[in-house]
Amino acid sequence: MAVKKITKAALTEWVGELVSKERVFGVQSKGDKFDFGPLTSAQDLRLDYDVTLQPPKKYFLPPVETLLTFEVSAGYESQYSDKPFVLIGVHPYDMIAINQIDELFKQGYYDTHYMTRRSNATIITCDVVNASENVFASQMKTATVKDGFDILLTDIGDSYIAEAATEKGEALLSKAETADASKDDLDKREKIQKDNEKNLSKHQLKCEVAELPGLLENAYNHPVWEEKAATCFACGSCNQVCPTCYCFNVQDDVKWDMKTGQRCRAWDGCMLDGFAMVAGGHDFRKKRADRFRHRLYRKAKYVPEKIGGQIACVGCGRCVSACLPDIANPVNVYNRLFDDIKTK
Amino acid sequence: MSKPRIAIFDFACCEGCQLQIVNLEEELLDLIGAVDVVEWREAMSEQSHEYDIAIVEGSITRPEDEDRVEIIRSRAKILIALGACATIGGVNKLKNNFDLDDVKECVYGDDAKMPHLDTAMTKAVDEVVEVDYKVHGCPIDRKEFTYIVRCLLLGKKPEIPEWPVCVECKAKGNPCLWEYGQVCLGPIIRAGCGARCPSSGFRCFGCRGYVDEPNVNAAKDVIEKYGLSIEDLKGKMILFGSTQGPTNE
Ligand code: SF4
Ligand code: SF4
Ligand code: SF4
Ligand code: SF4
Ligand code: SF4
Repeated sequence: MAVKKITKAALTEWVGELVSKERVFGVQSKGDKFDFGPLTSAQDLRLDYDVTLQPPKKYFLPPVETLLTFEVSAGYESQYSDKPFVLIGVHPYDMIAINQIDELFKQGYYDTHYMTRRSNATIITCDVVNASENVFASQMKTATVKDGFDILLTDIGDSYIAEAATEKGEALLSKAETADASKDDLDKREKIQKDNEKNLSKHQLKCEVAELPGLLENAYNHPVWEEKAATCFACGSCNQVCPTCYCFNVQDDVKWDMKTGQRCRAWDGCMLDGFAMVAGGHDFRKKRADRFRHRLYRKAKYVPEKIGGQIACVGCGRCVSACLPDIANPVNVYNRLFDDIKTK
Repeated sequence: MSKPRIAIFDFACCEGCQLQIVNLEEELLDLIGAVDVVEWREAMSEQSHEYDIAIVEGSITRPEDEDRVEIIRSRAKILIALGACATIGGVNKLKNNFDLDDVKECVYGDDAKMPHLDTAMTKAVDEVVEVDYKVHGCPIDRKEFTYIVRCLLLGKKPEIPEWPVCVECKAKGNPCLWEYGQVCLGPIIRAGCGARCPSSGFRCFGCRGYVDEPNVNAAKDVIEKYGLSIEDLKGKMILFGSTQGPTNE
């Protein structure tokens, strides 16, 4: 598939066409910040954003969703959301997070609710133009992305470079007025991507990202967990804004006839009091320090062990901004462990 | 199975939470169809001494109210505290911050010494008798109330959030109000309202009461980070948090 070039005016026209025909969600301003939302006008699209308040995972795993409706002693019916949609403006680190959750939801129990939404999505990613205040994607090697998307856009000044990676993407892009990208255009794109691979580094990891799982081997009883958790609200903000967190809680609600009802799932989070309650009410990670540790172990050890090495932190920096007591930053914790453990 | 008998009682409050029940609209018919309401001063004239579930609205502010709620407790199998006045003492607890004689004089002037106007420190219902379930909020959330009643009818334990308002606030994609200079109590207040206030741009003032283990040290750190004083925080905690939990620490 040839790489295309599309002028900014042509892109606006193309997006305008799209929003008039399809269900489109895209990045827009929200006060002085940005977020994904239903896109009704191409003028509202802000591909120059720094970071969105919420990651795009909500389009695949909504905060609350109905899994099935049931009637006691009669059976149940699964509920799926299978309306196609286009998602515009996903940054590379968020795309990598989606790829990870795809992998986890395919393994073991195949999550049909998630996968139905996922397969109905057409994802248009865009390379980062403005770095957010806490992004550290370069450190996590997630500043650029190679797969998972349908189309990748890169802003090269007066135009975008547009590369379709799937047939869906190709079909969509063919509706736009484009020209073939020249060698010069491609060089510009490469420079932008190379720069992003270095410059999205508001926090510096002292070791290589690949060393993290090994680092955690010896850190289980390190004092940092207690120290950080001492000022933790257990407010779950760090989980809620994280593109790689996907814990949920399932709950039934029965209607007044006491027979029919629905089963819903809602986002949960490993930082919340009450998370990891097992039958009998015994809370096995009762202590906040244990849960604080679990969050960072999950990111840099449990998930990589499951999906072949990739760390479940893509360096978006959202948890750093969202944590009021300023303790959630994974880089600070990993660096602290590195100083103490590796230099001994 | 015979329908459970429900009685609704009010103590010191604005009756706004009962009003929420009256305003259930079509669900009110479902509710009344599923239970047998035997006493409810706001909606009917009958009284009864026989009920399975007592719903108690309002806080306990006088010695004779303590006796009354104890009798209610002894008759009911299940006692539900309805609304912030009942669950945490609510705004009524504000008076606990002052000398009681001053409070009386301020409210009743020269009549303050009349015996029927006697008053005591405000208590939440569970400071006097055992409470089985709490419907939090000022006013209560109608959906949560009917959910709790349905759970009781099914003999199932309702799941009431143990986590703070921030969870729901973040799930809604709200920017944090602290960044805009508001002292929001979201991180230490129990969720369940759908982050009603921050979603409309107002700080959470704590009407659902504290979470089970509010981290006050963390709150103090955050106050410092944003260049505010502990008094700023306390000033915000006092409306719904007087003489409970960490407010007076
Ligand atoms: S842990 Fe923090 S920085 Fe890493 S992906 Fe999650 S929210 Fe982003
Ligand atoms: S955001 Fe910060 S305070 Fe809240 S749970 Fe996470 S680490 Fe704790
Ligand atoms: S909790 Fe609020 S709404 Fe309910 S009775 Fe008390 S003051 Fe009124
Ligand atoms: S606005 Fe309030 S409830 Fe929302 S995240 Fe901030 S502190 Fe929490
Ligand atoms: S946001 Fe806070 S004050 Fe507002 S309804 Fe919820 S608990 Fe009450």
